Amino acid sequence: MWVAVTGVRQPSAGRLPLGKRARVRLGEDWPLGYALISPAILYILVLVGYPFFLSLYFSVSHVTVASGFAGFAGFDNFTSLFGDPVFQKALTNSLSFTFISEIAKAVLGIGLAFLLLQKLPGKKIIRGFLMLPWTLPITISLFGWRWMFDPQFSVINYSLSHLGLIHHPYPSWLGDSSWAYSAVLMVNIWRGFPFSAVIILAGLTSIPSDIYDAAKVDGAGFFRTWHYVITPMIAPILFIGLIFDVTFTLGDLTIVYLLTNGGPGFSTEILPTVAFHTGILGGDLSHGAAAALVLFPFLLVSMVFFLRLLYKRQGQ
Amino acid sequence: MSAPAGVRSSPPIHWIVVRRRALQYLALAFYAFLALFPLYWMVMATLKDDYDLIDPAVSPFWFNRPLGLNHFSYLFAKTNFLVWYSNTFVIAGGVLLITLAVCVPGAYALARLRFAGAQNIGIGVFMTYLVPPILLFLPLAQIVTGVFNLGNTKWALVLVYPTFTIPFCLWILLGFFRRIPIEIEEAALVDGATRWQAVSRIVLPLSIPGILTAAIFAFTLSMQDFLYALTFVSSSSQKPLNLGIPTELIRGDVFFWGELMAACLLAGLPVAILYNFFLDYFVEGITGAIK
Repeated sequence: MWVAVTGVRQPSAGRLPLGKRARVRLGEDWPLGYALISPAILYILVLVGYPFFLSLYFSVSHVTVASGFAGFAGFDNFTSLFGDPVFQKALTNSLSFTFISEIAKAVLGIGLAFLLLQKLPGKKIIRGFLMLPWTLPITISLFGWRWMFDPQFSVINYSLSHLGLIHHPYPSWLGDSSWAYSAVLMVNIWRGFPFSAVIILAGLTSIPSDIYDAAKVDGAGFFRTWHYVITPMIAPILFIGLIFDVTFTLGDLTIVYLLTNGGPGFSTEILPTVAFHTGILGGDLSHGAAAALVLFPFLLVSMVFFLRLLYKRQGQ
Repeated sequence: MSAPAGVRSSPPIHWIVVRRRALQYLALAFYAFLALFPLYWMVMATLKDDYDLIDPAVSPFWFNRPLGLNHFSYLFAKTNFLVWYSNTFVIAGGVLLITLAVCVPGAYALARLRFAGAQNIGIGVFMTYLVPPILLFLPLAQIVTGVFNLGNTKWALVLVYPTFTIPFCLWILLGFFRRIPIEIEEAALVDGATRWQAVSRIVLPLSIPGILTAAIFAFTLSMQDFLYALTFVSSSSQKPLNLGIPTELIRGDVFFWGELMAACLLAGLPVAILYNFFLDYFVEGITGAIK
């Protein structure tokens, strides 16, 4: 998958003196080039690469904060996790949660992107306001939501009951296991839809407008244009956006931790909360790392798609 | 809905245009309500009187007792809010320095110098941005305490936040450096300037917008974190805003709603505004890889 940059390697390099040979093989500016990029590589290796492998290592051994390394475990940590009802709940929650939220964000995002594509006076300012859910730090906007979900003074219940849609007893949004999941989902969608919109918008604006004209002249309606013209053209950008959003939604602890902390009961546990509770609060690094690493296959698929897309584009 | 084309190719009949405009604004109003209502709610909670906040007899949508700034003064006088605020800036400043020190030379090398693997290195570094913190936080907690001896300090965050700002800012700066015409630099080299002179006198001044953008992101991305701060820092005096607010303005199950919302707005809005100015670059940073 890692193709070498072409145009650097030459077959006749063998007979030249060493310095020149290196220059031919590694490129003209190789000493300076590697020197300048090495701090970035070093940083990533030490603080992303090393912890990543440490995490793999934790997940296949018995490691706790208290007693350190206590033997190799193979896949025992994973088998015991998969037998644990809390973990099972967390896994299904994480998957269904991400799936539903991506669909909702895509639908809301497409609508908003088309709106922002229009010529509207004051569009830049409107966009700025509409982006606030995404640009505000989530730890902070979450408290607006907690206040809205408050069991006694909930504005949501106040409005719904005054509209006659709900009656006593009012739903306790965060305290009732059937509502807590929706509450968490709602906040996640709210937070993410502006991001989907700007990504889709970036795709739409990259399409030259004569292509719309051509489709129109050929008699294509909106849905045909969308399906045969727009989608194929913006697919790469949508894909990148989707990859980003899926990995971050799957890996995000903040919303659940601050809204419900996995409760009530275990109804809103997701993989990140299990990893945090087990690894940090329980000190069980092995099971914590294993719970987080269950996300890894998704990440791997994302990365492979990302790379394929990238090299396909560059091949053109 | 093929609007960009529609305007041009069909003759605009007045009422169709008006109706379309009205529908657009209606749709925008829906989105605005969706996006902004929680924030309106926070502003109201900040300014309202405490009794007004919890009086079930009155409509919560508007204020019924005089508004005031009491919540702000409580926040400054009786909580660690200002300490967290300054911690946030110290952390963001540290992250910023590390990020720029690593990324400016790195991005220049990837954009301009010819060496084997440059392209793959660029992609490889950027892909680490796809590794979510949740995969790394457990081992990192061990590393910041065990290897770097920074447990429970804000410096742990200064050390760790560049793991996500470096990949992102490297990519942003790479885009900026590529846009500076190489001819300008070559002309300087032909005129007898050394590479360092060409870079420091020509390339760097031209890429100030890029460096500024990277700096803003180093700051705003640091503010978006919660997991690392929660894991590495526990003493109040070391916390940044994004950790101090959610963990310390809540005592037991009693929320100081007014103070909490005041704190949230003071901390969040500057970040949101900054972020918004540079949003186009953010999108470009993410989608630029495949253009």
